[in-house]
Amino acid sequence: MTRLIPTASGTVGPFFPPHFFRPGDNDLTVIAPGAPAAAGRRIHVFGHIYEAGRVPRWNSIIEIWQADAGGRFAHPNDPRAAEADPHFMGWGRRASEDDGYFDFITVMPGGYDDPVSGARRAPHINLSVTGSGLMRRLTTTLFFPGEPGNDADPVLGAIGDPALRARLVLGTAASPRVSHGLAAYSIDIVLQGDGETPFFVD
Amino acid sequence: MSSLPDTFDPYDDATQPAMNIEHYAETWVRVPKQPLFRRPVTLTEITGPTRLAAKLRPGDNDLAHPYPDKPRAMGQLITVSGRVQDEDGRPVRGTVIELWHANCNGRYIHPMDANNPNPLDPHFVGSGRVTTDDEGRYEFLTIKPGAYPYPNHPTRWWRPPHIHMSIFGDGFMSRLVTQMFFPGDPLNDVDLILQSVPDPAARARMVARQIPMAEMPVLNVMGFEHDIVVRGHRQTPFGQ
Ligand SMILES: [Fe+2]
Repeated sequence: MTRLIPTASGTVGPFFPPHFFRPGDNDLTVIAPGAPAAAGRRIHVFGHIYEAGRVPRWNSIIEIWQADAGGRFAHPNDPRAAEADPHFMGWGRRASEDDGYFDFITVMPGGYDDPVSGARRAPHINLSVTGSGLMRRLTTTLFFPGEPGNDADPVLGAIGDPALRARLVLGTAASPRVSHGLAAYSIDIVLQGDGETPFFVD
Repeated sequence: MSSLPDTFDPYDDATQPAMNIEHYAETWVRVPKQPLFRRPVTLTEITGPTRLAAKLRPGDNDLAHPYPDKPRAMGQLITVSGRVQDEDGRPVRGTVIELWHANCNGRYIHPMDANNPNPLDPHFVGSGRVTTDDEGRYEFLTIKPGAYPYPNHPTRWWRPPHIHMSIFGDGFMSRLVTQMFFPGDPLNDVDLILQSVPDPAARARMVARQIPMAEMPVLNVMGFEHDIVVRGHRQTPFGQ
């Protein structure tokens, strides 16, 4: 069978329409405004994104994708999709603000036995960054502090240096903006320079 | 397992843009210096949101005449249509496409373009969002965007008319943001964004095809066809 070649990526540029963002786009716990909420422990995940020289990078577009509280995906490629939480969106999007701030409301993702690799995946959140100056998206994966499964996770384990792995583990600082009354987890995304975030081949 | 793509190979660098572009200043401070890490593909990467249409509420495919009681946008009326397929050539159905571009004066409706000396067009909305049909097809009615200068560097260049497109596909690994160009524009040859893709055939696939005038149902609308391939294919039966 002939294989088609994926279309080339191009930078999102600086002009992604602001009105493409609506309130709630960064809330993974509902599939539509006003819909019932997902099961699980609601959490607030926030961070700041920086370019070289620790300059806050505003107008970046951050997208995340994760499993539900039971470690399932409401997607046909998951053999357990029928058991997935029908109220969990799993996806969210947000533009970073002037100081690089971004945040999401979600539920604590479950770990799962991965049917593709055979490995056990620790709870994690996939994150991608697009924006001007990025001809392709950058992708990385965020992990939770104190999770015993982190050491055996095959994606976190793909990074040899423990100091670099630590950059993908969320902290537990409170958000400077808003508390939502939820447990808060924080991350710095550093595109380039000191403390640079490890990114994965997309 | 499902019939959806379950294999997502790393992109071929020859068919994708370089990350570092010498005269595109924003790349200098935003592209990581450290090499990217290879990771195994697991369930989390081969799945993705299936209910985006509920969240993003698509349905705006007319950028040229969005307000029925008002005049249409200034500029050459065009349609942009095509198919979204995976690497196996199967249609990607019900996926969300977002599209945005400059007005006929090369100006965006965006705070970042507030200092552009060219005028806004109050009858042009600048962006739209649709879902693909059962054949993976999409269509927008809009106007041909103007060129605009890339301003930041002593070696400035004109960005040719182009349309930004964001496509979700069936999984996290099929997500694509790309730009569509117009055939025959001499500015295409000097655009550092388009020319950053090394393979000429891959660049050619970023350029739309003009639909012959005789095939267009309306006389004053120019048609452009642009097919998109998102990453992902099925495992071959003997692959495992
Ligand atoms: Fe543009």
